[in-house]
Amino acid sequence: MRIVLADDAVILRDGLARLLAEAGFEVAGVAADADELLALVEQLRPDVAIVDIRMPPTHTDEGLRAAKTIRQQWPETGVLVLSQHVRASYALELLSDGTDGIGYLLKERVSDLAELASSVERIGHGGSALDPIVVEQLVGRPRRSDDPLEHLTEREHDVLALMAEGRSNKAIAQQLFVTEHTVEKHVKSILGTLRLPQSPDDHRRVLAVLTYLHSR
Amino acid sequence: MSLPGSRTHRDSGSPAGHAALILTPCPAYTGPYGPSTLCHWGDVRTKQASVGIAAVVAGAAAAWLAAQRTFTPYQTAPAPLALLVGWSFIGSGLAACRVRPDNRLGKVMVLTGFAWFASFLTDADQSLLFSIGTAIQAVYLVGFVYLVLTFPSGRLQTGFERLLIWSGATLVTVVALASLLFSDSRSVLCSACPANAFEVTRNDVLASGLAQVERIGGVSLVLIALALIVARWSRASALQRRTVAPVVWAGGATLAAVVVSVMNDALGHPLGEVPKQVLFVALATLPVGMVFVLLQRRLARAAVAGLVVELGERKVATDLREALARALGDPSLEVTYWFPAGARYVDSDGRPVALPEPGAGRITTVIERGGQPIAALVHDRALEDNVELIDSVCAAAALTLENERLQAELRARLGELQASRARLVDATEAERRRIERDLHDGTQQRLVSVAMSLGLLDAKLPAEPDAAKPIAREARAALTAALEELRELSHGIHPAVLTERGLAAALEELADRAALPVHLELSIDARPPPRVEGAAYFVVSEALTNAVKHSHAGEVRVAASRERNRLIVEVADDGIGGAAAEAGSGLRGLTDRVEALGGQLVVSSPPGRGTTVRAEIPCE
Repeated sequence: MRIVLADDAVILRDGLARLLAEAGFEVAGVAADADELLALVEQLRPDVAIVDIRMPPTHTDEGLRAAKTIRQQWPETGVLVLSQHVRASYALELLSDGTDGIGYLLKERVSDLAELASSVERIGHGGSALDPIVVEQLVGRPRRSDDPLEHLTEREHDVLALMAEGRSNKAIAQQLFVTEHTVEKHVKSILGTLRLPQSPDDHRRVLAVLTYLHSR
Repeated sequence: MSLPGSRTHRDSGSPAGHAALILTPCPAYTGPYGPSTLCHWGDVRTKQASVGIAAVVAGAAAAWLAAQRTFTPYQTAPAPLALLVGWSFIGSGLAACRVRPDNRLGKVMVLTGFAWFASFLTDADQSLLFSIGTAIQAVYLVGFVYLVLTFPSGRLQTGFERLLIWSGATLVTVVALASLLFSDSRSVLCSACPANAFEVTRNDVLASGLAQVERIGGVSLVLIALALIVARWSRASALQRRTVAPVVWAGGATLAAVVVSVMNDALGHPLGEVPKQVLFVALATLPVGMVFVLLQRRLARAAVAGLVVELGERKVATDLREALARALGDPSLEVTYWFPAGARYVDSDGRPVALPEPGAGRITTVIERGGQPIAALVHDRALEDNVELIDSVCAAAALTLENERLQAELRARLGELQASRARLVDATEAERRRIERDLHDGTQQRLVSVAMSLGLLDAKLPAEPDAAKPIAREARAALTAALEELRELSHGIHPAVLTERGLAAALEELADRAALPVHLELSIDARPPPRVEGAAYFVVSEALTNAVKHSHAGEVRVAASRERNRLIVEVADDGIGGAAAEAGSGLRGLTDRVEALGGQLVVSSPPGRGTTVRAEIPCE
């Protein structure tokens, strides 16, 4: 899988390139700012572009805007946005045009190489990866008494959070040490409780769940 | 007549440093009519009475001369016109002297009146009197031009005006007399005239030449005077035109009539006697016009009494401006108040106001009370000639203006307070942003790289233990760097030594780390409150940084002491000076911080004599 990455800090750019190489990815190019990144993506058409959110010249949200541009112009390239802090609002902005091939993770997630590799893989295959902290921010909001989330069991909550992170039933089953069949039952029950359409597609249900969580 | 540009501003050297201000110190004010000793006739009533009697006698003599004359060399006025013009000048002059005792106009009017009567000596059928009359018959015209040119101040303003008047005076006396020295009156003047008593030797060419010089010179001077008046009128403000209009019209018409009449004489009387008659009537109107204008001004001053009543009922500051504008007859009046703390003038809302530059067309009058400026009136140039009115208004309104000034000062202080509070908030915001950036770009990044190294280590360790060692070293180095950066950052936010050991120890540390030799003088017996220590520390820190960066200093002296419950810190370098508190936002921010604690920060930085930053902070 071919990767392009952009970060203005050399130390992180090089470190990440080494990590990804170690995990078996091909790092096709590195960029120091958004313009450079967009040029690389146009030229190399990588499977995944990994972007730091804050880059020159304004050091605000260049990475976020570059990510949206890439998703619109080169839909076959997935985008993983990395940041030193994550905001639910940024996540929703990023996912507003669809959850296919989009990821938004805290930078420090790179310390778990296996987890990082699986997220990049997922995004490269058109899936999504949302940082648990974002999901926590969305699920953990104060609820009204008539909130359907109140009716979910503790286990169903865990499953809902993992669904929102963009994981497949199989991955959820592995994480929770249960069978895939059990996960499917939980998913069906959750979607029923939240009155969301039953969808066999892992990708599509992420958006439904996130939209639901956000609009609560 | 005094129109724009005709008056030189008195340089008052006022505290505001404006070169063209008229200072009106209210306490020295002596009453609306000024000291009467300035009227040049001493005891007013007696002197005026004697002048009146003299006028009656002179008038009667002139009228008798005019009535009895048997020859008509000069077409002098008939008796009734003679009396009208002469008494008009003398009567108006006496009235003007009463209205404006300190003004020369009244005296000149009286003298012009007598000069007018004296010109009727030409009608005397007696050799000496006739000759004197012939020599001085045009003197009254000089007085007339003087009046028109100098109204209402009564003073000649420029060297050119002085030259004009002196030339005229020379023409009508010296040249006129010189012409007589060579004239045979019977052949040159008229056949029926008495003998010329001043004839030395008859020389018709010289005599008529001198007479021509007098005539042409006189007409030229009158034309120049007319041109001056027209030029001033065209430059005058509306208020100025309104106040002097009667004088300008009467004076201009008379001077024009003089020219027409002289031309008529020279051309052999194509218009007959009409121009002369018109001239005499016009002559009589000028003094009346002048007294009218002066009386109007006196009435304006009387209106100040109304102002006093109005000020008593006044509600808000705009009312004060309007009341003053009404009393001064200048709707464009602006009132500004002195704001001592800011050393500048502010409007009634406390906003800074720029006074007009000298020569900008508007006049600034500073009103003082007890030697201190309280307000400045920015008004039309026309009021410049009416100092008495401004004096009266100033006396009437000084107390109210002082009250209003206090209000304006309060608002100005409030405005400064709000501005400095906003700056403090901005500075805090900027500081937080800087800290966030430092954390984001520095420490957080290093920690993420440590996390990366650990991730790599985790992946490599089981399979390649040899490759793990350099990775672990990298991680440790990054962690050490992160800790170092964190320490620097927290020191910048608030030095630990300041918390733990107090200001003296913190300043010693600062001196040790400075890039310049620092001479320390510390005498702080008891620790001031933390906020005072913090502010003092950052004053010294910023001043030292500036000294190192900008001053080219060889040494810096840092003193800190506690005196009478105030902490005083002073940083003085021996560098190039020339630093400004406003220039560096660092110093501005420190000033705000010190002032927020009720203290004062003073920067003194004369070029070439080093920079001294001194802060005094109360330790309450």
